[in-house]
Amino acid sequence: MIDIIGLLVGEISGTSRLIVDIAIYFGLFVIVAMALNFQYGNAGVPNMGCAVQVIAGGFTVSAITTRVTFMIVKAAGVELLPFASDFDWVYNNQYNVSVLTNSFLETHMLLGISLLLFSLGVALVMGAAIGYIISLPAIRLRSTYLMITLITMADASQIFGRNIPAITGGTLGIFVPNVFAWYPGDRGVLLAVVTLFIGLIAFFIFKTMLNSPYGRLMRAIRENDVTVGSVGKNVVGIRRNILIFASGITALSGVMVAFYYSYVVDNAFMRADWTYWPWLMLILGGPGNNAGTFLGCALIIALRRGIIVYKWYLERFLFFPIAYAESLILGILLILVIIFRPRGLIPEKLLYIPGINYRKMVKEGTAIDWREAKKAEQKTNRSKFWGKKERSESE
Amino acid sequence: MVVIPPLWVNMITYSSLITILSIGFTLTYLTAKIPNFAHGTYAGVGIYVVWTLSKIYGFSPYLGFPLSFIIGGIVSVIIYVLVIRVITRLGGGAVVLTISTLAIQILLTAMLSIYVYWARGVHGTYGMGFMLKEYDFKIGGYSGIFPMSFLICVVVVILLHILLTRTRTGVAMRATAEDPELASILGINIDTIQKISWFLTGGLACLAGAMYPLWFQSYPNSGGAIMVSIMAGSLLGGFNNIYGAIIGGFGVGFSEIVVTAWLQKVIGPGVGRWRPLVPMVILVAVLLFEPRGLTGVYERFKASKIGEKAFAMLRRKEE
Repeated sequence: MIDIIGLLVGEISGTSRLIVDIAIYFGLFVIVAMALNFQYGNAGVPNMGCAVQVIAGGFTVSAITTRVTFMIVKAAGVELLPFASDFDWVYNNQYNVSVLTNSFLETHMLLGISLLLFSLGVALVMGAAIGYIISLPAIRLRSTYLMITLITMADASQIFGRNIPAITGGTLGIFVPNVFAWYPGDRGVLLAVVTLFIGLIAFFIFKTMLNSPYGRLMRAIRENDVTVGSVGKNVVGIRRNILIFASGITALSGVMVAFYYSYVVDNAFMRADWTYWPWLMLILGGPGNNAGTFLGCALIIALRRGIIVYKWYLERFLFFPIAYAESLILGILLILVIIFRPRGLIPEKLLYIPGINYRKMVKEGTAIDWREAKKAEQKTNRSKFWGKKERSESE
Repeated sequence: MVVIPPLWVNMITYSSLITILSIGFTLTYLTAKIPNFAHGTYAGVGIYVVWTLSKIYGFSPYLGFPLSFIIGGIVSVIIYVLVIRVITRLGGGAVVLTISTLAIQILLTAMLSIYVYWARGVHGTYGMGFMLKEYDFKIGGYSGIFPMSFLICVVVVILLHILLTRTRTGVAMRATAEDPELASILGINIDTIQKISWFLTGGLACLAGAMYPLWFQSYPNSGGAIMVSIMAGSLLGGFNNIYGAIIGGFGVGFSEIVVTAWLQKVIGPGVGRWRPLVPMVILVAVLLFEPRGLTGVYERFKASKIGEKAFAMLRRKEE
């Protein structure tokens, strides 16, 4: 069976390598952008700290999965170099991972798959926990306070990663076991497939949640939280739940990043990469709309990967390094989109509500005169209640 | 002569910079109702105005202070006219405006980096990670920037106080901050007032940035890197109070430098690497316990029984 897959996917290079690369990055970023759309586009929670959850996923792989793998491999009888103390953990890591563990994983397909699933599950829990922690200080306050706190949280988690060697080996970084070592073909193709599959599952989860009563509640909170609070819904609790749920999903992206790079270091999760670019994707595509998020993500990823691949060609026309041009494009695009296309490329659609064909009602202009209906009811009530008084006045 | 320990020299210089920046940040929050994330990067503009003057043309960096105030103000007004005002008129909310300030931060940092790269090619001066300590003068064994920064901070606070309480423009600014619609009914041109306040904030940030390379190593991004400290200072003082930002700025500077050094003595030298976490801890603690910052604490104390007694006693003494 494995041989057949191996035959199907031969060596890839050139343009197909670029396509695979774009597919992986699209999968990674679309998970983050979709979770962001879920939070900001639908519930109005401006999560400026997506990087925190991605970091949570990455650190899960480096700190937990790598250790678990070492323990299993050691129990299976492979002589690993010591990895208990901080010093051994960092300095023996490369030999342990790339020589001993990966060659063991080559022949153990089930272990590789279960390690992948294990890290995804742990990252889901860790991401949710991080989401709960970052929601504590500011979720009750105004949205701008929330943004300030979450932006600083992203820096804080990087500082933790840099200063505690047990997590990612400090500034040196940690190599991560290759859980796809059993696959004979190109690892990138399988990684792209897995990442896109996770993205697809996340898409269906988000879609189902949006079209449920909870989704309508989320939109109501976005539009006017005071009204929703006044009819007896726990606005703060719902906001916190949304942040926790979306954080868990975002952490899955972090896991796949760690497996794609095969290496985790805190600088790989820069705030610009994992917060600002997903926000640009969201705003370009149109907040509150998953199709828009897909479109925005695809456009931006194609642009960025294209710039990186054709860097040598493009640098002839510029007098400065291309990295600055990337930031220039990010900043200018963000401002231009906000000014000229505030609702994004694909505007927001109405939600699906079972039993009511809301779109048809809007199209035909069916006017339900709520005001009149209410007034009529009020009138009868009032006459019932004030009946005696009015009569006495008339008398 | 009393010798001031270098730790306190460091702390007062740093706190003065943070205070000037925090005042500007609070002023933007009062008038535009958004946290301006690009505020730290204005300081980057100031850094490179001074760099251009002293490293390329050989002037004293102190000549660059007024120039950077003006250039920073102009940059800030341009940003207001081109981005913030347009988005506000289109009906963008606070979140969208805040995101646009983030975009401006990225844009400005990139432009500064490009300028530094270009200047290296043309003038052959390296501008990444530079310091201007050798251009500074000495007063009684101290670097000139130590008394100058404190002096400038005090002067800025006094001038701002006079502007806000004694002049028509300042009163109009305060009225606009309280209620823009009511202010416009009373015949205040809100657009002009906004422009003036953005000029002030940008200019103040740039002034602080101009002092930065005389004491710290500077990069195009170093203004953005101290953004967390600025926000912590502003939040510690209370977002709605300019005078709170003074106490907040000095509080953050004190806890970042003196408290960290003291902890290093008590616990061990390993604490030093956690210094960037200090302003974040302040930020989170303030948000958790008293979101209005020290202003809220003061008001709560005023309203409590003990506070009422204390204020009554103070009043009696004055009589």
